[in-house]
Amino acid sequence: MNVHAAGLAVNTITPSRVIAAIATQIRVINALVLRETKTRYGNYKIGFLWALIEPLVGVTVFVAIFANLRSDSPSGMPLVPFMLVGFICYGFFKDPWGTMQGAISNSRNLLTFPQVTTFDVIMARGVLEIMVNFFCLGFLLYMAHLAGFEVRCERPLGVLVVCLLLCILGLGMGFLFASIEPLVPSVKQLASQVMSRPLYFGSGLFFTADSIPAPIREYLLYNPVLNMIELLRGEFFYEFETSYGSWSYSCWWAFGTLAVGLLTHQALHKRAIVKK
Amino acid sequence: MISLQNVSKKYRTQAGYKVVLDDVSVEFPVGKSVGILGLNGAGKSTLIRIIGDAEPPDSGAVHCDQRVSWPLGYAGGFQGNLTARENARFVARIYGESTRYVEEFTREFSELGEYFDEPLKSYSAGMQGRFAFSVSLACNFEYYLVDEALETGDARYREKFRMAFEERRANASVILVSHNEQTIRRNCDMAAILHEGSLVLYEDLKEALLEYNILQNLPR
Repeated sequence: MNVHAAGLAVNTITPSRVIAAIATQIRVINALVLRETKTRYGNYKIGFLWALIEPLVGVTVFVAIFANLRSDSPSGMPLVPFMLVGFICYGFFKDPWGTMQGAISNSRNLLTFPQVTTFDVIMARGVLEIMVNFFCLGFLLYMAHLAGFEVRCERPLGVLVVCLLLCILGLGMGFLFASIEPLVPSVKQLASQVMSRPLYFGSGLFFTADSIPAPIREYLLYNPVLNMIELLRGEFFYEFETSYGSWSYSCWWAFGTLAVGLLTHQALHKRAIVKK
Repeated sequence: MISLQNVSKKYRTQAGYKVVLDDVSVEFPVGKSVGILGLNGAGKSTLIRIIGDAEPPDSGAVHCDQRVSWPLGYAGGFQGNLTARENARFVARIYGESTRYVEEFTREFSELGEYFDEPLKSYSAGMQGRFAFSVSLACNFEYYLVDEALETGDARYREKFRMAFEERRANASVILVSHNEQTIRRNCDMAAILHEGSLVLYEDLKEALLEYNILQNLPR
């Protein structure tokens, strides 16, 4: 925590100082989120639309394919909400990860302010992505409802919990990659070229685990994101209960990844700042 | 008061390690303007970034119990594609100041007029400097860290800024780095010299300038 910002003297820790330090951190992250919003969406009128367009493209393509391939919807779920839920909620994991990983190298000028830390600039990006995705989820489901599709949520609280698990997993990946990226820039390629595609196709965005042949399914279920998407559909749809998604497996992955991400950040952030 | 305790810092270069600070311990007295002189490449900017907590030292600690500015120079910490107004609001937010006050003060003092709502990247260097210093004056710091660029904008604006800064110095302290002894002579009460990793603080400004003159004329 930053001693300059909170106006503290030496290293003694008192409750009032802890509170002051937390207040500073919240203030800084809030300022960074507002600023990030301005730079990302403020100057381009259609900037914000991209957040909606990205999941919509995936949904449209797969709805078109599936509607033509077979008439029945997957496991009795209505096709469009099925796709929407999968593709938007995948963003809770992928978007924080994707934007956080460049946070340190792209915000060097911000780090000249004494109270702005690497943790703040990384976290701010994740917070913004998560908020945007929650907005997208609500907005697009409401649009689907207005367009006449059947949108009924069985257990909203359960849906929220799974979304948060996806966020935590995404934040963990974000911290991990953001801390390594300034030292090893090629991890960005690793994320976008090597890891993201298999995850996109192997996380159940457009299928359910029980529609996959058993021997392949066994391996696919090692993927925590597939587990989470399964759980999500189970919580969301009346028609569907997952027999493969595991709560404990998902939780271990989410919190384990977050711990690894934060520890890596703790270990590397000093070297990451200095690296030009 | 700001104090450095056994602070060391080195950089890795192609030719090996370059030591910028070698076990430096120093106290900057309250209410004084301290100039830090050093030849080009002595590590003055690094030193002021460490004092301002923009960069961590390799070892040692920086203690500080007051509100410190970021290292003022040209538009260091600002974002080019945001306007001056948006940048000013950002600074106000992270320092917990009233956004309206900082915004208004900066707009008035910087005399940027209609440019205040244009992206910073469209500014000339002089205008960026004017903006940066105006924001810093709006924030009422107890310590001002200045990296070279006090001399910004045209002569009239420089004078205005110098007056405001002079006024501020009555209850604020300044740490200013420069390779230019004129700048130090005009703005500082005492001076330190940074040379080959060691920082020596002189009570007497004249003595420091004398030493620096000798240093500058040494064959290298």
